Amino acid sequence: MRFSSFDTLLTHQAEALGGKPALLWEDRTLSYRALKHEVDARARVLAGEGKTCLGVFCDGSLACVIEIFAAVQAGMQVVLLDENTPDEALERLITYTDLDALWGDEALVEQCRPYLTPGVRDGAGKLLFFTSGTTQAAKAVVLTDHSLCQSAYNGASKLPLAPEDRLICLLPLNHVFGFVCGLLWGLQCGCTVALGRGARHYWDDLAHYAPTAAAMVPALLGFYLKHGGFNPALRLVLIGAGDCPPQLLRRAEELGLRVSFGYGLTETSSGVAISTSGNPFALELCPDDEITIAPDGEILITAPTCMMQGYYKKESDTAAVLKDGVLSTGDLGWLDEAGRLHVTGRKKEILVLPDGTKLYLPEYEHQIAQALGEGELALVLRGGRPVLVLPGQARDKQELLRALYPVTCQKPRGQQLGDILFWGGPLPRTATGKIQRWEIQQKAEEL
Amino acid sequence: MITREELLQRAKEVIYDAVPELEGQELGEDTVINTDAAIDSMGFTLVICRLEAAFDVRIPNRQWQRLQTLGDVVDAIEKRLK
Repeated sequence: MRFSSFDTLLTHQAEALGGKPALLWEDRTLSYRALKHEVDARARVLAGEGKTCLGVFCDGSLACVIEIFAAVQAGMQVVLLDENTPDEALERLITYTDLDALWGDEALVEQCRPYLTPGVRDGAGKLLFFTSGTTQAAKAVVLTDHSLCQSAYNGASKLPLAPEDRLICLLPLNHVFGFVCGLLWGLQCGCTVALGRGARHYWDDLAHYAPTAAAMVPALLGFYLKHGGFNPALRLVLIGAGDCPPQLLRRAEELGLRVSFGYGLTETSSGVAISTSGNPFALELCPDDEITIAPDGEILITAPTCMMQGYYKKESDTAAVLKDGVLSTGDLGWLDEAGRLHVTGRKKEILVLPDGTKLYLPEYEHQIAQALGEGELALVLRGGRPVLVLPGQARDKQELLRALYPVTCQKPRGQQLGDILFWGGPLPRTATGKIQRWEIQQKAEEL
Repeated sequence: MITREELLQRAKEVIYDAVPELEGQELGEDTVINTDAAIDSMGFTLVICRLEAAFDVRIPNRQWQRLQTLGDVVDAIEKRLK
């Protein structure tokens, strides 16, 4: 069944499923009926406070989920924030998105209170997710509870969960893949959603909650495969938000897991194509979505029900990628004879990391060049981590890393350098003088 | 009261135990441990959690990404032991 809003979703499921557990958090269980009741109560409080734009530092807790649903129901614009955002970026993000209220860790909220603004006038129903770029380049994508519900419907129609399933929500709710595939997918299907207890519990959450289904990024899949953390009841793993090495998928399948791979963007409210059987890299299109391939191989998406409204207060950035309802993704791919999508790489100068975040290369490379006083360098991906490639012969890596410390310490963990490699001679360049990144990428594995 | 040298030694033991691939590599206070290819982002989370358990301290998640060297990690633990 298709729902037009969080409220219609929660109302319907509360009536249809009543006392069935909807959410598990630590040792607490909340039924669908109780969830609706708590969201309604909190929405009344929020509506009475007269605020217009709420920033939620997403800690993944039960209270966090209730706050998000309630704020939307109260007609507020909701901005989903990473609670690990570096201090120096917080003021910019809060003023940029016009927050006049905050929810989350008390100390963090107090720290950010001076940055609050007068709020917004037309934010009802809007949820803002940040694109997973660096904090400098991050843009807020305007989605709605309607578009997110349609995305959950699309995903559930291709990959339905059974009522007896238990989905675990391991990914941060401020990532659209985590929000849709870790939370809404389960509520849409009427099953129980276990809310993960954060990074400290990655290794014991599966044993604690005994889920049957999980949505995770490739880095998390790799972690569980390495440390043997899958619980016996787990049968389905949905991988998304980043390139996944085929050997990881194979190893998961060897353990008897059904592995599906999803493709989508924050701009499309999460997935638009998903593999449901056979080749996990041959993705079937979701019902509301249409994909065409541009002459240069770029994937173009038409997703009328799930498309973003635009980048928040960045009209020219929106116009650059979204024309007449068609999104230029910056990803490259092809469609097979059955119409299934195969994603092959990136067109833009962006690395998509295994944790789903995107690394904007020109900006990061510029910062590194300044720190090292070197003009010639390249960042490529090796083993899922960004590595720095420098021209010339090997030098003292620790000394270079110390020189780079002021740059790298500002970066999220996944964006920190995995290694420094030395090319031996000058870096290869194209006829027009640009660094030939693909060649460096190709050889980086051998260096 | 544990000395800094003892703390450093115990921290190294915990790290070697959590990331066996590092065995044989000398770790010093100024070793940038979270950019070594052997400790990926998930592995680093595991290391921090093991260290928290070993020393019975809690390092706020927001500070994890600022911990670059082994010395940074030892500082963070030492501060919370006092």
